[in-house]
Amino acid sequence: MEALKRFLTDSRTIRVSQVLIGLVFAASSLAKLGDLHSFAEEVHNFKLLPVALDHLVAMTLPWIELVAALALLLGVRARSGAMVVSTLMVVFTIGVLIAMARGLDIECGCFGTADGTRVGLVKVLENSAMLALALIGSLRARSLLGGSGA
Amino acid sequence: MSDSGGGALKGVMTIVACGLFLGFAYNAFGLISENPWGLSWVSESKLDMLAKSELVKAVPDEPASAPEEDYWTDIDDPLAVPAAARAGLGLPDIPCAGRPVQIELGALKQYYDAEAALIIDAREPDDYDDGHISGAMNIPYDIGMTDPQVLERLDAGGKPIITYCGGGTCEVSLTLAEELITAGHSPVAVYIGGFSEWAEAGYPVDRRPS
Repeated sequence: MEALKRFLTDSRTIRVSQVLIGLVFAASSLAKLGDLHSFAEEVHNFKLLPVALDHLVAMTLPWIELVAALALLLGVRARSGAMVVSTLMVVFTIGVLIAMARGLDIECGCFGTADGTRVGLVKVLENSAMLALALIGSLRARSLLGGSGA
Repeated sequence: MSDSGGGALKGVMTIVACGLFLGFAYNAFGLISENPWGLSWVSESKLDMLAKSELVKAVPDEPASAPEEDYWTDIDDPLAVPAAARAGLGLPDIPCAGRPVQIELGALKQYYDAEAALIIDAREPDDYDDGHISGAMNIPYDIGMTDPQVLERLDAGGKPIITYCGGGTCEVSLTLAEELITAGHSPVAVYIGGFSEWAEAGYPVDRRPS
């Protein structure tokens, strides 16, 4: 247990996690920005928000993702970037679970229309793995070597 | 850079504020471009937008002894039924509007009885198998994204296409209708009442034996 804690709080483990989750979020945000109208439709399909807010979320969410991804990749405010991504992953996973509970058979929209993945258990597991990565990225480094990058 | 809790929280707020600003600015740029591609600031449900489109209504039954002058309609009267439609198959006109129009139950039934339209169920195969308008074909709405050629190859035989789904707030019939128009089909109408209203009316349905 102590060894796992030492591994997770090692600055290199944290930095690798930050870069990996940063790459995922950079890709997903750019895919969404590439076709905002399709992404807006996917946001709408989740039916989690009042219809009037769908576009506001669709136009800002990819940019929040992109700024957080750049923070993670460049190592500037990377811990904050990891916290933003962790929060988003929690929200996305809850969204997928609610869609599943309602029996909605919809596209996830997680990577815009690029992947076409549908909501379901596989998506929940993927999200959980990414959430774990983002949470590791938001840990405070034990070692002083290399700092936390935050 | 500070790694304290307060510093990290400040960083979170900075990231969110930057994202919001960039998102609004990028969209505003998209709206004022020569060919606007931005999203409208306030979104509107597709069904609300469709509800504002033309509604194809059923042609009232004519008494057998109707005098000939009844075939003439007043073009200034918006409720008047097009004379050309009465003179033909006795079917209401579905306009080629370049976008989907809505069709009501009675008008759909007239097209169904005359076998004068291609009726498509836009739901997933499982829902289609559980029950669908008799004779309707199944093209799940998401096929337009995964395999648009299916829609381009679809031969409606010169008939109008009418899409439907489960009724209520279900929108996939409208999504499919838009995809069909993009694929070059016209006219296309959406039956918003959906399978639930059709079945409740006691009209013919098919169920795939399990």
